[in-house]
Amino acid sequence: MIKIVSGTTIPVGSTVALVNLCNQFNAKDYKCILYGPDRWHLDKCRSALLEDFKLQNNDIIIVHDISLSSASDVCKLPALVTLPQKNYLFKIFKSLMPQMIWRKPKPDHFTLVLTCQGRDISRNRLPRIDFYQKIHAVSFLQQISNKLKISNFICPNMVDDLITSEHKPEMIAGIIGSICKQNNTATSIEKALQDGMKTVIIYSYLRDPIYYFKEIEPLTRKYPGKIKFYGFIDNKQNMYDSISDVYCSVKKPWSMVAQECLLTNTRYHGPELSNNSEPMTNEQIFLVWKKELGL
Amino acid sequence: MKSFIDDFYKLCDLLKAGEPFAFNRFSDGELYILQNKELILDSSQVKVGEKVTDGIYKDEDHKRFHPEEHSFYRDRIVEAFRFQKKNYFKGLSCRCCVGEENFQWQLDFHGNYDKNFTWANLLVNGNYPRFICEMYPLFNNYKTVFVCNEKADLSVLPFIAKDFRVGYNAMINDYGLIETIKKWIDENNIEAYLFLFSASSFSKMAIHQFYEHSDRNTYIDVGTTLNPFMNMRLDRTYLKSFWLGEKGKDLDKICIW
Repeated sequence: MIKIVSGTTIPVGSTVALVNLCNQFNAKDYKCILYGPDRWHLDKCRSALLEDFKLQNNDIIIVHDISLSSASDVCKLPALVTLPQKNYLFKIFKSLMPQMIWRKPKPDHFTLVLTCQGRDISRNRLPRIDFYQKIHAVSFLQQISNKLKISNFICPNMVDDLITSEHKPEMIAGIIGSICKQNNTATSIEKALQDGMKTVIIYSYLRDPIYYFKEIEPLTRKYPGKIKFYGFIDNKQNMYDSISDVYCSVKKPWSMVAQECLLTNTRYHGPELSNNSEPMTNEQIFLVWKKELGL
Repeated sequence: MKSFIDDFYKLCDLLKAGEPFAFNRFSDGELYILQNKELILDSSQVKVGEKVTDGIYKDEDHKRFHPEEHSFYRDRIVEAFRFQKKNYFKGLSCRCCVGEENFQWQLDFHGNYDKNFTWANLLVNGNYPRFICEMYPLFNNYKTVFVCNEKADLSVLPFIAKDFRVGYNAMINDYGLIETIKKWIDENNIEAYLFLFSASSFSKMAIHQFYEHSDRNTYIDVGTTLNPFMNMRLDRTYLKSFWLGEKGKDLDKICIW
């Protein structure tokens, strides 16, 4: 069975990507379950809580956002994800010591695949990754270190089935992507308002409430009545139907937003992405996964 | 065993399913009123029964309950507390927040055990991040009526279809608004709406009377949880911890039953 295990299943883009991947496997009759510590994913696909995860022979384990120090750590995933920070740091230190001397073996009775949904692989916070059989990246523009002597493959995330609605609003901007300093959310909001947008709707997961209160809450008073906070909503079609423009302030080659804007005839205002190749279809993406996992 | 987190997700599931319910909260303020203790919360004093300390409350939070003068309103809160109906959830002050004696007093005063008992703090403390990130977006699925303080700015909340305002000590000064809203519900055939309440003890009486009157809407006492979106003060420690990053243990607190 394919088991996707993630260190976070809060409502953000990476969780949506893993949900879509899980649904695609099951739609093609490859049994797949998504395990995560949060509950948002539970009604989105075949899924379970991370505490219910059990390793079985011949499983294919796709790991996202969990720091393993060896393949055998897969047997203790729930503890790894919920470990207190001080023990976590100690564990990383402890795990690094023997790895300076010898390499960790790859598992022989299951397959271990690492999926990197956002961060550059070369800067991944995992202490060591030599025990993975494969690494998946979602974009050519993610920096895959040449020093990695592990089989890797690149394919984007599945695209949601979106269409252009007949009645698009005018001058209503959407802000998509988690609210945090790294995403420059406040800059995107101000840019939209300076461009004359009538309303700015924030369709984002509140990753950093302190940033929101310091940078965005004052904007709601500076521009009274023009900024609305929706939070993360499940229905992307409804979201794109409610906006005419999307504003983004950071370059994320793996982000699906620009492509979704194309599908829904929504104007995209953000950093140009240099990858001009034709987007892959979900069928093509699935075939890549099928080949790489040897299904 | 009852779970603080499971109970939270129970309400989320009802919201997702569009199944009407009421979530009423009886916190320490209502506990003292139920116990028929004199209660004065204002900027000059906090008086609970015979005990008096310095006042810390701002205008919108001023409350004054005198057992003899305001017995009519206490009776309404008692009715709200003892009311039982399918999907009428009552949040009690938990033993970890008000102590074993007060917790047990509530159960004894209520009489029979209600399977719809839950935590008054269900949307705050350790569940507050979940409330903001997972429950709040579900409000967008509803036409929403907000009953809140006259000073609140609702322009950031996208789901508001209608609002009704109250002033300070609304439990007494704005009691008549309950009939006004009932009439509005009837005259406009209001069904499948979500009613949010941030109106202190007024909310408890109103939620009970509205759900008894019209159980095809959903009624939630959100308390101070949405203050940061309404240009209202962040004077609760859980709000200061979450939005300002101030030190405090409220956000780690998973209340026990």
